[in-house]
Amino acid sequence: MRRRDFTVALAGLAACRTGPPRLNVFNWSDYVAPETIPAFEAEFGVRVRYATYESGEEMLAKVLSGNSGWDVVFPSNSLVEPMREQGLLAPLRHAWLANLDNLDEEFRRPSWDPNLDWCVPYMWGGTGIAYRREVTPPPTGWASLWEERLRGRLTMLDDPAEVLGACLKKLGWSVNSVDPVELRRAGQEARAQKALLRAYVNAEVRDQLVAGDVLAAQLWATTSLQAIEESAALAFVWPEEGFALYADNAAILRESERVELAHRFVDYLLRPEVAAAAAKATKTATTNAKARALLPESFRWNATLYPPPEVLRRGEWFAALPAAAQRLRDRIWTEIRSA
Amino acid sequence: MSRLLAVYATAIYAFLHLPLLILAIFSFNASRFTVWEGFSLRWYRAALENSQLVEACRNSLVIAAAATLVSTCLGTLCAYGLWKRRSAPITAGLYVSLVTPEVVMGISLLAFYQWLFRYLDVRLGLHTVVAAHVTFCLAYVVLVVLARLRTLEPALEEAAMDLGATEWQAFRRVTLPLLGPGVAAGAMLCFALSFDDYVITSLVAGVDSETLPMVIYAMARRGVSPVVNAVSTIIVFGLGILVLVAERLRQS
Amino acid sequence: MLAPAAVWMAVFVAAPLGVVAAYSFLTRGPYGGLSEPWTLENYVRLADPLYLRIVARSFRIAAVTTALCLLLGFPLALFLARSGRRKHLLLALVILPFWTSYLVRTYAWMFLLRDTGLVNTLLVEAGLIEQPLPLLYNEGAVILGLVYGHLPFMVLPLFAALERLDRSLIEAAADLGARPLQTLFRVVLPLARPGLVAGALLVFIPCLGAYLTPDLLGGGKTVMVGNLIQNQFTAARDWPFGAAVSLALMALVMLGLAVFLRRGGERFL
Repeated sequence: MRRRDFTVALAGLAACRTGPPRLNVFNWSDYVAPETIPAFEAEFGVRVRYATYESGEEMLAKVLSGNSGWDVVFPSNSLVEPMREQGLLAPLRHAWLANLDNLDEEFRRPSWDPNLDWCVPYMWGGTGIAYRREVTPPPTGWASLWEERLRGRLTMLDDPAEVLGACLKKLGWSVNSVDPVELRRAGQEARAQKALLRAYVNAEVRDQLVAGDVLAAQLWATTSLQAIEESAALAFVWPEEGFALYADNAAILRESERVELAHRFVDYLLRPEVAAAAAKATKTATTNAKARALLPESFRWNATLYPPPEVLRRGEWFAALPAAAQRLRDRIWTEIRSA
Repeated sequence: MSRLLAVYATAIYAFLHLPLLILAIFSFNASRFTVWEGFSLRWYRAALENSQLVEACRNSLVIAAAATLVSTCLGTLCAYGLWKRRSAPITAGLYVSLVTPEVVMGISLLAFYQWLFRYLDVRLGLHTVVAAHVTFCLAYVVLVVLARLRTLEPALEEAAMDLGATEWQAFRRVTLPLLGPGVAAGAMLCFALSFDDYVITSLVAGVDSETLPMVIYAMARRGVSPVVNAVSTIIVFGLGILVLVAERLRQS
Repeated sequence: MLAPAAVWMAVFVAAPLGVVAAYSFLTRGPYGGLSEPWTLENYVRLADPLYLRIVARSFRIAAVTTALCLLLGFPLALFLARSGRRKHLLLALVILPFWTSYLVRTYAWMFLLRDTGLVNTLLVEAGLIEQPLPLLYNEGAVILGLVYGHLPFMVLPLFAALERLDRSLIEAAADLGARPLQTLFRVVLPLARPGLVAGALLVFIPCLGAYLTPDLLGGGKTVMVGNLIQNQFTAARDWPFGAAVSLALMALVMLGLAVFLRRGGERFL
């Protein structure tokens, strides 16, 4: 006990000497504008340590101990429930989140957190098909990615949920299916496709599309838009059979010792001009309605980022899945990859 | 035969350095892509202005230096001890740490730290990363130094002790100098391993201990960015110059 | 002498592995994470041919990589050991590439091997081929990447052992009428054996557990044990199964080591 008190006292002393309070934010890479963090630091007189991760599970592994040091993290919607169940999230105080009303209607009561008690939707997106214009007739849906003409010039995402999701949609089922029969059929489809497939890759395929190595790829809308901006020879389509949607949310960790400052940061991100700047810089779809109104025309109505309602209806949000289904999906994914 | 070897060595050096050369060339490319569009220093400017990158580089150097120091000392002593007297548990432990895949080692350390933190109120940080690096470097150092030791004559030390030296003196004055190249090789290996490590570091790094490989991985995962090329070129040339200087000093 | 290392390993190797061993007997929680009951199920699941095939593939790739590193690295180490004053400089030049990020070097290879990459472009321009060769995203590319990444780990111990070799022995062999190649195989190689074995170990083991290289250069289509384990700890969030696979892998390798030690007789640790 003595030693513990001593350590705490030392830590307290150390904290006294460090100057302005420091907020630790852990976010997906490329998710804020260059000026977002410095502007926050200047306005609130604090320092922000900002680090990035590439996968939700990477973030989860770090924060699982409850002693990671992070204050604000950005789980995607399918991770919010697991994190809440494991007691990792701090309940949000809406009193400190005045800008919450700036959110789009749809994200005020999302299915993964209807009262926004635990998280605040930040950016969202979906998965579709990016392709080169010389592919004629152009792909219209997932089924197009099983065509012989794409042999060796086709890629899919390196993500079991996305690949199985595409196969399930192709067969007319839900991306969140837990039915073993449906999942196995989806697995068969994926294995059949593998002979045509060049690789399972994520964002790196962007360069290959631009260079012309790859003709068609399963790719996130925002990454596709980034590719299209580099080369006019590229295009994007939302598959006709349906597609998966995801949303990344700002959440505050229960272990955080700067809960109020964390709230102020989340509230700051909800400001229209801040959210708009971030959305424009990263070419992502924002959940903030007021911010969207501030975007230039080309962004605001960009069909790749903000599909029109009749297209959006075909989309389906990813959901957290029960353990048995997760196990089966994982096994099927391993089968697909080692086939 | 010497001629043949020299020609072969040149070929291997070319193979080893070719990718780096390509990287360096394209770090001066004005365009982001593989098409050459003219000479430009923009990526270097971007790299040096990127505070995250600079801090990560600093962290990597500090961690690698600390880890090399600790594991070379621990490892050399350990190898020496093993050379003098076999020890099954230590040998087993070294084998185990050699055999463990990086992911497993990273996960096991993370889980261990998490468990430890319930009682010690310490966070993940530079120290946890250094400890992790020492752990995986140790066995490599021991292996290299021991391989070297095995080619030495034990009689030399005995002779020294017959002449009145203590065991420690015999070690310091006779064996250690002979071990020189082995220890140096081990230290270089350790530094390279530590500086380059991504898997284990990314798992046990804390809020303030982001390293260069972690930043590069994040950048590279978004598609090839020439800023990464620029950083690598800076590192290679910086370290290359260091090595040349060290060699000059050694020879004089 | 041994005490500091012993303590370090007890704390940072034994204890964490104990934790992993404990995990392997637990069950995956409803959302990932861990939960009771304690069970052997994870190990039973391992016996599935799907996973066994992955292990076999990993062994094969690691063995090929080790053999290639040995073939390529030995002459280089020999050259280094005989290079007189420039020894350390040349050695440092071997290590130099490995001070850049492994990822960056891997991307450099991706850049070289792509359809529109340097190699293919050169071959097409030279008229040797018409269509670009699919050099990337297959097992060959993975092996190339692994060899490239692990060559110094073979060269360093070999160098350390060869450098200390007694020249007079080689001269004696020559005096007795041996040709250079004979000397190589009958005198140099056996004497350098500790270095050889150390190098082989330093290459084989990491290759077994490799996951970045097969992931990046194999296009996600070459699944090795490392990928399997990493997948369990990330996307699948099934830590207990990942722990079981890890321990099983380690058991296999240690078994192989034990057999080798008993037959080979040479102890390198």
